[in-house]
Amino acid sequence: MSQARDAIFAALGPSQTQSADILRHADALLDRVAALRPNRVGDDLADSFLARVTGPVIGASGQRVTGVESVPDAVRAYLLAQDQPPSLALQPHAKLLSLDWSGIETHHAIAVDEAVAVCFAPYAVAETGSLVFRSGADMPVLFAFLPLHHIVVVDAASVVAWLEDCAAIEASRATPRNLNLVTGASGTTDIEGALVRGAHGPAQLHIILVDPVLPPAEKLPSHVPATPDTSR
Amino acid sequence: MTTAFIERSNRALADRNLKLAIDRTTGTARTKRAAAVAAWPQFESARDLGRDIKDHVTANLAHYLSEFERNAIASGAHVHWARTAQEACDIVIGICRAEDARSVTRAKSMLGEEIGLPHAMADAGIERVETDLAEHIVQLAGDTPSHIVWPALHKTREQVRELFLAHHTDPGALATVEAMVSSARRQLRQKFMAADIGISGANFLVADTGSICTVTNEGNAELTTTPPRVHIVTAGIEKLVPSTAHAMSLLRLLVRSATGAELTQYTTFHCGPKRVGDADGPEAFHIVLVDNGRTKMLTEGLAEMLRCLRCGACLNHCVVYRQIGGHAYGGTYPGPMGAVLTPVLDGLPIAQDLPKACTLNGLCEEVCPVKIPLPAMLRGWRERAWRDGLEPQTIRNGLGLWRFMVVRPGLYRLATRIALPAIRLFARRGWIRSMPLAGGWTRHRDLPAPAARSFMDQIRSQGR
Ligand code: SF4
Repeated sequence: MSQARDAIFAALGPSQTQSADILRHADALLDRVAALRPNRVGDDLADSFLARVTGPVIGASGQRVTGVESVPDAVRAYLLAQDQPPSLALQPHAKLLSLDWSGIETHHAIAVDEAVAVCFAPYAVAETGSLVFRSGADMPVLFAFLPLHHIVVVDAASVVAWLEDCAAIEASRATPRNLNLVTGASGTTDIEGALVRGAHGPAQLHIILVDPVLPPAEKLPSHVPATPDTSR
Repeated sequence: MTTAFIERSNRALADRNLKLAIDRTTGTARTKRAAAVAAWPQFESARDLGRDIKDHVTANLAHYLSEFERNAIASGAHVHWARTAQEACDIVIGICRAEDARSVTRAKSMLGEEIGLPHAMADAGIERVETDLAEHIVQLAGDTPSHIVWPALHKTREQVRELFLAHHTDPGALATVEAMVSSARRQLRQKFMAADIGISGANFLVADTGSICTVTNEGNAELTTTPPRVHIVTAGIEKLVPSTAHAMSLLRLLVRSATGAELTQYTTFHCGPKRVGDADGPEAFHIVLVDNGRTKMLTEGLAEMLRCLRCGACLNHCVVYRQIGGHAYGGTYPGPMGAVLTPVLDGLPIAQDLPKACTLNGLCEEVCPVKIPLPAMLRGWRERAWRDGLEPQTIRNGLGLWRFMVVRPGLYRLATRIALPAIRLFARRGWIRSMPLAGGWTRHRDLPAPAARSFMDQIRSQGR
């Protein structure tokens, strides 16, 4: 098929511009972005994120807990409220594996009709209310798509402001097979434009935003700088 | 206009269900888009940026294509090139055969429709499972898409119910749209997991990583591209962006213009096959880069059309599309963008009616997130049709007569003075329901009665 390749490049003609100039122009385009982004991010990025995901457009549910150790309790409460049996697919991520899940049956192979899965998102984007997943040995892609209820744990300190921050983080790391930005539960408007949740992916998305436990004497600083989890 | 287009349009206009179905979906889309745009004061400057990013890529297409190819290969992808639709289909079928694929899942892609992939797969005897809910409906109905974002927009819920009752293994009562969606969910689950190959399109090709980006609301793209052994992407060469950051700027525009959301539920960048140690993902990743007329558009003054993000906003706002729907256009792409593209893909002699079926009200250009001058491009096709002598002799004669009159204002005024009272004889309460020579108009709508005196007459009497 290199014949086709040659023909396409021949039709395009030789490049008129030096690569360095093209690169400079491409960068200059991005310089314009900051001034025209929709201004939807407040000072507390985690607050902005949570407000966005639980707002009417995205319609997910969410809560803030203090300390990652509180996550299993939050999950138990969710299962109870949603009338789900205490059994779930747990993403094999170190952060989740280290928690005490007693009283809940957990497994790491996700079933085709899995009811509940719990995942850890390395970071989130406040602007759009998106959770970011990077596929890997400890993040099977299907964990975000097969369950009916998708529960996602994310550190409040890891929320970044803009989609460009996400692009910058990813540019500095090895590209995974899949970079998934998940913004709300699956939905479709394919039949008469009516919104129905749970088209193929999860019907419900629940977010557990984790604040760090502070030593008793210290007070919470007014602005927590964003430090996305780049451990993976 | 040729009879085929007139027949299709007449059939569409006579179909009351169709009008209702189009109004429901495009109405919601227009309302939601308007709200999303109103919440973004800098939307105008963002459109300028979107236009400039796409134009920058178009101007440097060879550079970005080779950069993309280099990075995709480095990530472990196989990159294929196709000049034509036929070549693209041959490549895809070839991969399916080499992999001995029995079942193939497919996530909606307009490029796939453009190159006729569904047909090619049927001819090759490969089972094709459409996974986008709308495409699933279209496949069960043996139909074609009628909108680039909502392919099954022409189907009412009652029609969908009938289809699912006839084809799903466990449909239940299907009393609500919710029940229909979950029936499709059950029906397609096992298909996702059992497929040998998953085929998707791409909303963006990211040059500096070699990734391809898909956006869906349902999550069907990832369920299509993750479980099978092989993931094949078919994409037009105009889908390139320099980097992920550039894709983000275009995503903001694309999603708001398409559905009124800020981001689709699932925005995924796919790069190479699964890595060593990865928990899931395909073992092989093929990208088929398709020209199919795009390099020709560059040289024939249609470069601006290569900006198109396939958001569908121009369809939703088009007064013609909203009357006749997508099928009447007779091509892969309907509406204003389709009227510009179809003459490229199917040839002007076949598609010459589409640029003419337009009021030139300019709404499409106004809503286009990358400011494509659609009306000017449609006028360009009209001029081309005239130059190529494609207009039938009756039209040429009629226009000749018109020209004769308008360059003689006295004669023209005399003619209108005679015609006006004659036309008004047919009017009842300001509207004309039928009139000789106006059947083409009055069959499906009334014609407003003209004023008693012409504009020129009124001006003259007021001036005195
Ligand atoms: S022409 Fe513009 S409005 Fe129409 S689909 Fe393309 S990008 Fe959207």
